Amino acid sequence: MAAGTTNGTRVVFDGVWKKFRRGEHHDSLRDLLPATLKRLAGRGPSGRELGEGDFWAVRNLSFEVTPGQTLGIIGANGSGKSTTLKLLTRIYEPTRGHCAIHGRVGTLIEISAGFHGDLTGRENIFLQGAIMGMRSHEIVRRFDEIVEFSGIADFIDTPVKRYSSGMNARLGFAIAAHLEPEVLIIDEVLAVGDLKFQERAFGRIRDLARSGLPVVMVSHQLDRIAELCTDVIMLRDGQVAARGTADEVIPAYVGQVDAERAAIRSELIAFDALVLSAPTVRSGAPVTVVVEGRVTGDLDEHAEPLGIQVRSLRSGHPLFVTGSRRLGVPLGRRGPFTVEVTLQANLPPGDYLVEAGAQDSRTLQAFATAPSALLRVTDPGSFRGTVQLNASMRVVQSAPTTPAGD
Amino acid sequence: MPAASDTTPLLPLEPARPAGAYLSEHTEEPATRRRSVVGDLREIVEEMRHCGDLVQQLTLRDIRIRYKQALLGFAWALLIPAAVVLAGMAVRVAMAYASGRHLDNSQLAGMAVKAVPWAFFVGCLNTGTASLVSNKQLVTKIYFPREVLPLSSVLAQTFDSLVGGVLITVLLPFLGVRASWQLLWVPVLLALLWLFALAVALFLSRANLFFRDVKYMVQVFLTFGIFVTPVILDAPMYGPRVAPIMMLNPVAPLLEGLRLAIVTHHGLLEPLAAPAGWPFWQPWHLAYSAAWAIGGLIAAAVLFHRSERRFAEVV
Repeated sequence: MAAGTTNGTRVVFDGVWKKFRRGEHHDSLRDLLPATLKRLAGRGPSGRELGEGDFWAVRNLSFEVTPGQTLGIIGANGSGKSTTLKLLTRIYEPTRGHCAIHGRVGTLIEISAGFHGDLTGRENIFLQGAIMGMRSHEIVRRFDEIVEFSGIADFIDTPVKRYSSGMNARLGFAIAAHLEPEVLIIDEVLAVGDLKFQERAFGRIRDLARSGLPVVMVSHQLDRIAELCTDVIMLRDGQVAARGTADEVIPAYVGQVDAERAAIRSELIAFDALVLSAPTVRSGAPVTVVVEGRVTGDLDEHAEPLGIQVRSLRSGHPLFVTGSRRLGVPLGRRGPFTVEVTLQANLPPGDYLVEAGAQDSRTLQAFATAPSALLRVTDPGSFRGTVQLNASMRVVQSAPTTPAGD
Repeated sequence: MPAASDTTPLLPLEPARPAGAYLSEHTEEPATRRRSVVGDLREIVEEMRHCGDLVQQLTLRDIRIRYKQALLGFAWALLIPAAVVLAGMAVRVAMAYASGRHLDNSQLAGMAVKAVPWAFFVGCLNTGTASLVSNKQLVTKIYFPREVLPLSSVLAQTFDSLVGGVLITVLLPFLGVRASWQLLWVPVLLALLWLFALAVALFLSRANLFFRDVKYMVQVFLTFGIFVTPVILDAPMYGPRVAPIMMLNPVAPLLEGLRLAIVTHHGLLEPLAAPAGWPFWQPWHLAYSAAWAIGGLIAAAVLFHRSERRFAEVV
């Protein structure tokens, strides 16, 4: 084993492979008997190799998460995120390799899976708590806190089947949030309840993550990942496609999604680097983007050789698009180029992705993408809204300030 | 666009970092663990020691949901034993009429002391078989030792049967049954029956997970099981040729033992002859059932334990 303590709390994933089967399992005696005989005879696939119709859902995945680290796992649907979580939480057994969690695990996964509709909220707190590994006396001790956090004190003696789905999720989260874990594993749980509850739930997760626990989280909310995670792994086809810090991996992930959507003619233009003047900028302040690349083919008149796009990580939507063609900057000759773009970060605080790419301006078909960069916009709270209008305020006339009570 | 090719790297991805926070990637496999029965049993006991609260909560859940929104409520606990006793009385009355003999209270008492344990066994098979599949939501989502599911379904059934057991205990003196030292056999026999029921529940719940028709086979068995188990009739009534075969049913010696100990005041370490003179009870019957209960439980638990990590994929 490499880094890490030998007896502290941590999560270890060591060369883990997981095999699944396409199609059906042996479902009756008729299928089972021949398969068993084959296995006894020493033929047929051994359990650890790929047989016919098998595939690897997770391939050779290794990581270690120690206290103070928060690992985010991102990837498209079917890339192996859920399987990884289920391996972590011991629901699946690895086909090869070894995975272990050292320390008491709290899972914010399927937070209301153990609820029974006919039981009351009160009864379900004890049931779900026990399923998640709490001792009864701990639940008794923290019962009032759980009820208060869930905000459904009035309905605590109502059967859960009469709850709205939001109430259900809030009660589930409230129980999970009081687990006192040593290691935390989080799945897409933040999308429950109303906005206010989501904020409260995320605040709780943030507190837990920042208290120094080892945390593994899976989410599609990239801004959450960017905010919490010290390390990020991007999975593709069950393999690690990229790993590094959030600033490194998230742009690659967002770019990948885009790049897969487009067919890319990289023989015309290639980008080598995209560098921001600063990774963090005050809302309203300027930020400079330097893009380096090479024109390697003959670009026609409709080509947009250098498009610049700013995308919100929270929504994933592009907020601002411009380009050399739109701005009237000539850029079409063969050879290397370096372009400097200055943008005013007239954006609310949050995480943004600055991307560059080339496309055909008629078909909007991209034919090259550049490395992108993560831009964090901060603001001390001088405004609220979706755009920074650089307000300034000046008193033209006002009553003279007098002591109160005059 | 025809230019899309799989060989062109879409993105300049970061190469996997071997240094820093993570382990370097490697494919080395840990040595295959040797499994031994003793080692597995120790593991099971170790896991179950931490699951007391979970077993308690799941048992409570099973008991609560049975009595919530139920027409009969707690009367459910008595319905099946009462039905068995009534059906048995009908059969006994018919037999008494056919043979021209008188139906006495001790025969009724002998049937009643077998009806409640039989109802317990039937209930365990029914709820135990379904216990994993009906908790699919939990099995596929949350980790805990899966043994707790059949175990808590047997415990919930035990609670039900205790209600019936208390009622029978109150009724027996009115049927003319007196106390004797042989009553000391009752806890032994009930414990063996309980262990055997747990073994069968573990085995069948696992089997039903892999093959869904196991549930229907259990239904068929339970429908006809009462005819091949001495519940309504006593073993000697089947005659010298069939009775010994019937006693090979591991439940049969336990039920007959209860009747002999409670109603007949017979010491179970002594052989007993049927009225016609042939011996129907042998002391080894008891050892035979005990072997089934204890050996079966060990085998079922180990089998269960070794495959439980695959449950979430199969269910």
